[in-house]
Amino acid sequence: MTLRYPATSQVLDRRSALAFCGGAALSFALAPGRASAQEGFKFGLTPVFLSNDLELLALLRAFLTEAIGEPVELVSRRTYQEITALLVAGQLHAAWICGYPYVQFKSELDLVATPSWHGKPLYQSYLIAAADRPTERWEELKGDIHAFSDPDSNSGFLVTRALLAENGLKPEGFFARTFYTYGHRNVIRAVASGLAQSGSVDGYVWDVMREMEPDLVNQTRIVRRSEWLGFPPVASPRALAGDQRITRLKDALTAMDRHEDGRKVLALLRLDGFVATEPALFDTIAAKVDTVRRFG
Amino acid sequence: MRFFARLRAIPVSYRVPILVALLMVAISAVISERVLDRLSRTQESFIDGLAGSYLDGLTAAVLPAVLRGDVWEVFDALDRSQRSYQALSPIEAVVTGADGKVLAATDPTRIPSFSELPEAYASRYGARTVTFDREADTGFAFRDLVYQGQKIGAIHTAFDASHIFAERREILATLLVTNGILAAIFSLGGFLLVRRMIEPMRVLEDHMRAAANGVAEPISSREFPSRGGEVASLFNGYNALVHAERERANFAMQLAEEEKLASLGRLASGMAHEINNPLGGLFNAIDTLKTHGRTPGVRDTSISLIERGLNGIREVVEAALATYRPERSARPLSADDLEDVRVLMKPELRRRRQRLDWQVDWPAEVAATIPGGPVRQAVLNLLLNASAATPEAGAVGLRVERTADQLTISVSDEGPGMPKDSIAMLSDEDPGPAVRTGRGLGLWMVRRMVDACGGKVDVEAGPSGGSVVTLVLPIPEETRNERSHAA
Repeated sequence: MTLRYPATSQVLDRRSALAFCGGAALSFALAPGRASAQEGFKFGLTPVFLSNDLELLALLRAFLTEAIGEPVELVSRRTYQEITALLVAGQLHAAWICGYPYVQFKSELDLVATPSWHGKPLYQSYLIAAADRPTERWEELKGDIHAFSDPDSNSGFLVTRALLAENGLKPEGFFARTFYTYGHRNVIRAVASGLAQSGSVDGYVWDVMREMEPDLVNQTRIVRRSEWLGFPPVASPRALAGDQRITRLKDALTAMDRHEDGRKVLALLRLDGFVATEPALFDTIAAKVDTVRRFG
Repeated sequence: MRFFARLRAIPVSYRVPILVALLMVAISAVISERVLDRLSRTQESFIDGLAGSYLDGLTAAVLPAVLRGDVWEVFDALDRSQRSYQALSPIEAVVTGADGKVLAATDPTRIPSFSELPEAYASRYGARTVTFDREADTGFAFRDLVYQGQKIGAIHTAFDASHIFAERREILATLLVTNGILAAIFSLGGFLLVRRMIEPMRVLEDHMRAAANGVAEPISSREFPSRGGEVASLFNGYNALVHAERERANFAMQLAEEEKLASLGRLASGMAHEINNPLGGLFNAIDTLKTHGRTPGVRDTSISLIERGLNGIREVVEAALATYRPERSARPLSADDLEDVRVLMKPELRRRRQRLDWQVDWPAEVAATIPGGPVRQAVLNLLLNASAATPEAGAVGLRVERTADQLTISVSDEGPGMPKDSIAMLSDEDPGPAVRTGRGLGLWMVRRMVDACGGKVDVEAGPSGGSVVTLVLPIPEETRNERSHAA
């Protein structure tokens, strides 16, 4: 079977795709029924995924199709939770998820590979505020309207939640109001426009977007950087541990920087490549989950 | 009223173009008002439609997010819609939730989420879909968000309406300039047209004025319009009138001349008789001298007789000379003039064996101040008429009273009474009809003299039958003053 993007998504230009999807719900989510079809390799993408660039998606799909040896279907949903649920339920063969859902479903998921950024499979979470706001300490963000990315996002929610918990605070008490934008890019837009006075955002997304959309990102500034944490990994359901396609996927990802099409994809993602990592890489995230759990 | 009076005082050649211009201004004002009204209604319904579809789009985009209270989704939808409706130039959109608080606004720095909507927003809408604030060049529109029959929120929008008002101003300016130019062209055209139209009337008016001042000239063919028509026939009519008037005047002059000659003839024959009477005596005296000239007594008597006879002849000749020499007629009236009349009348009276009742009260110290020639001629004419009307052996009367400010001359006869036409010619306000009968030119000359002096004439029946014609001639003011100074 062949996979095509629905015609509607093809008329979306790059700009409006970016604006509309904002790293979240991809409007070209494939037709219902495809996801449950037995044929084809289903690869899930969460909004951690940097860009909704159609070029990137086409390149990635072509690369994975070649590597795995059968048609690949890219599956996107609006929230992390939907992708995580599909993955855990075995309806996706693999997915690029966040470290937070990974540690939550560690017993049901296997790590396939983790992206390497600036030479390490690590990234940070940023607390950001408007660029013209002279805020130096995160404590000064008290009373703000705060934008989170996703309740299942590590950098866009858990890190800030844990920071508050460590200080004996809860978001609803510390911030005047909070809301979710379901996309890191949207957090930046919310803070830049003034809809939110501060936000929790993926540091990798913020840094890369500063190159791609400096006008937007430069309206914000970083108030606090978190410690280095495990980069959102690619995981597969443990039930598919023996599946050759997963092995081929892992080999292809870790060898991506040596493949011509793979390098194109990595260049668009501003990543060095993928590396095989141990689950222990995400122990710091697990610790944060514990902190939050203990506090609440 | 005074405005209309003033308007009427303006010449027609200016009044008509002014009225045309005023009419144009009025018409253009009405047209402009209609066009602008129509334009504003078209614009408003167009904007209403546009704003309606904008609100429809917004409603569809934000309704699910409002239901969930999703601040980000509402903001995202508003943010995108601002770029999608460029035709409407949206300035701002604010979405409120069921509790009336702001969910999201396109400019969160001005209207933050979760805040109360400012009071001004609720009160700025009118009955129509779109309400305009002309001072701020802004339009406002409002829509309740209703889901399953329940109000779950509202959308408040504002958009830039400056281009709408700018368009109106532009059209107004175009209308004003166009209509101003048209009004100017029409009034200039009207001015020239009216000038052209009333030019013949002006020609006619000038000629009429000249005629009223006594110089009636026919309109020359140069001034006739090139094409015939009403004006040409009007001019022709006027020219015919002028020619008829001239003929009549010539005829009257001829008649006057004839009359003068006729009375001259009568006078001449009277004078010949007057001269002839002493001539017989003179020849007798000469014969007596020839025969008995040597006798001193006879000679002296004869010479004296001849002298008196010659004096009588000289008097007659002098009186005639005084009457018919124009240069002598300009001097003031004096008692001598009246004596001359008496002398001139004598032959005629004698011929008809009539008596003249002579009552002249002419105080010597009173200077005469009325032109002598015309008055003497008038008195002579009246006396000749009276003599003609009075039967043979009857009596005619002349009575002259001279006071400080007027001279009264009455001429009476014993005739059968004056004909109506003659009375009318002397005493009617308008002697025209009587004159046109062509009779009694002597009386017409009397009337002209009286009119020239500013006096009046009365004709009445005399106490013993016949008529009495009384001329009352005022003595002019300045001459009386001169007289008193002289005194």
